[in-house]
Amino acid sequence: MTAVRQRSEPPEDDLADRFRAGDESALREAYDRYGRAVLHLATSTLANRSDAEDATQATFVGAWLGRDTFDPSRGSLLGWLLGIGRRKVVDRLRATARENRVAETVRQLPEPVTGGPDPETVVDRLVVADELARLPQDQRRMLELAFYDDLTHQQIAAVTGVPLGTVKSHIRRGMASLKRRWEVDGAAPGPRPAGLPGAR
Amino acid sequence: MQHLDHGRLVFLALGESEADTDETTHLDTCAHCRGEVESLRHVAGLGTSTRSLRELPAPPEALWQGILADVREAEATPAGAAGSVRRQPPTEADAPTGTGSAIPPAPGARSRGRRVRWRRWVTTGLTAAAAALLGVVGTLVVVRSGEGTTDPAGEQVVLASAPLAAYGPTPPQARGEARVFDDGRLHLHVANLPEVPGYYEVWLINPTNGRMFSVGVLGTGSDVLLPLPPTVDLTEYSVVDISAERFDDDPGHSGDSLLRGVLAR
Repeated sequence: MTAVRQRSEPPEDDLADRFRAGDESALREAYDRYGRAVLHLATSTLANRSDAEDATQATFVGAWLGRDTFDPSRGSLLGWLLGIGRRKVVDRLRATARENRVAETVRQLPEPVTGGPDPETVVDRLVVADELARLPQDQRRMLELAFYDDLTHQQIAAVTGVPLGTVKSHIRRGMASLKRRWEVDGAAPGPRPAGLPGAR
Repeated sequence: MQHLDHGRLVFLALGESEADTDETTHLDTCAHCRGEVESLRHVAGLGTSTRSLRELPAPPEALWQGILADVREAEATPAGAAGSVRRQPPTEADAPTGTGSAIPPAPGARSRGRRVRWRRWVTTGLTAAAAALLGVVGTLVVVRSGEGTTDPAGEQVVLASAPLAAYGPTPPQARGEARVFDDGRLHLHVANLPEVPGYYEVWLINPTNGRMFSVGVLGTGSDVLLPLPPTVDLTEYSVVDISAERFDDDPGHSGDSLLRGVLAR
């Protein structure tokens, strides 16, 4: 069970299509599914809770009013929403930096260090978390044991009773899916194979 | 060149296997395989960091209400001209020169109660803003008051200005001018406005999405100086609108636009 996406839901394709078509129930569903991911992006990068909620609200309003521009062939609905959210957050961060600069000119104080992770990294984590939640259960279970419990493949085989070769096969496939999704929907700059639609 | 098996790259990236001599030699010379290992290692790092994302808190219900209110607001604005506007919808020919069709029709009366939240959204959503005002400093024009005492602002630096023309069925002799000064104030000069049972209100409108906010009220005089929110982006909120408002309990735009113009630097 992930907070990014609930497992029991119908495939996203249907939701994305209805969202694009202007079915208002799809806006609510998208919010129920992905509102917490967008809010997490905003709260983990913006210091002010009220700013974070405003950015989240603006993301969904902007996405709904601009739903014509969502192209499902270029990435997932979550990836698209996080892209909009990232721009809202970055705008807010820049505005804050500007306000701070103005205030500092007056007060002659040194530049404050901005805390928190950068929005691109948060988007990438959310995208990978969502993909992890979508993997077939065996692949997800093996990867979670490797990621969260830091178990070797041998240890995973021992813990789960699954043959080592099968463990390796699940992990190999799961990793390939995570990487593919990150390439499509991720935000952080980095090398990407040519021809893949980057989500930027 | 034969690339390494992808499964091997995954296990190397996860630190599950050590590269043997042949693999090390290959990775030293093959940027593709090396890049693949780096990407996989990065993705594995992201995967490790997803643990805390499994139980994210749901946003508060008020946030959804805010989204819904904004969506209603935005959707009501273009539709308002067809429904609740009291006068004939303006035609292209009625639009003031230079504004083109980018200007949305005058909005219908909007619902109350959401306005406070909405205004706050506009203000905070546009903080990218100071930039717009700062950005135009490069094209400053110093305007000397040619009208002597009729110009309450005296000598001011004008960042942007807009000729205001009669809108819709407003008598064509009604006109005006809007100027944005570098002290953040909007100066309006109007002439021949038709008499209205209520009062005149000044608005800034974003023609792209129909959003707007009230700048203030125009009294009975021909000039007024109104402070603008310091964060407003005038490249977005580029339309100056003067409306006829009634003394009712509706704080929204009446839909009766008298003058309009587009701010230009």
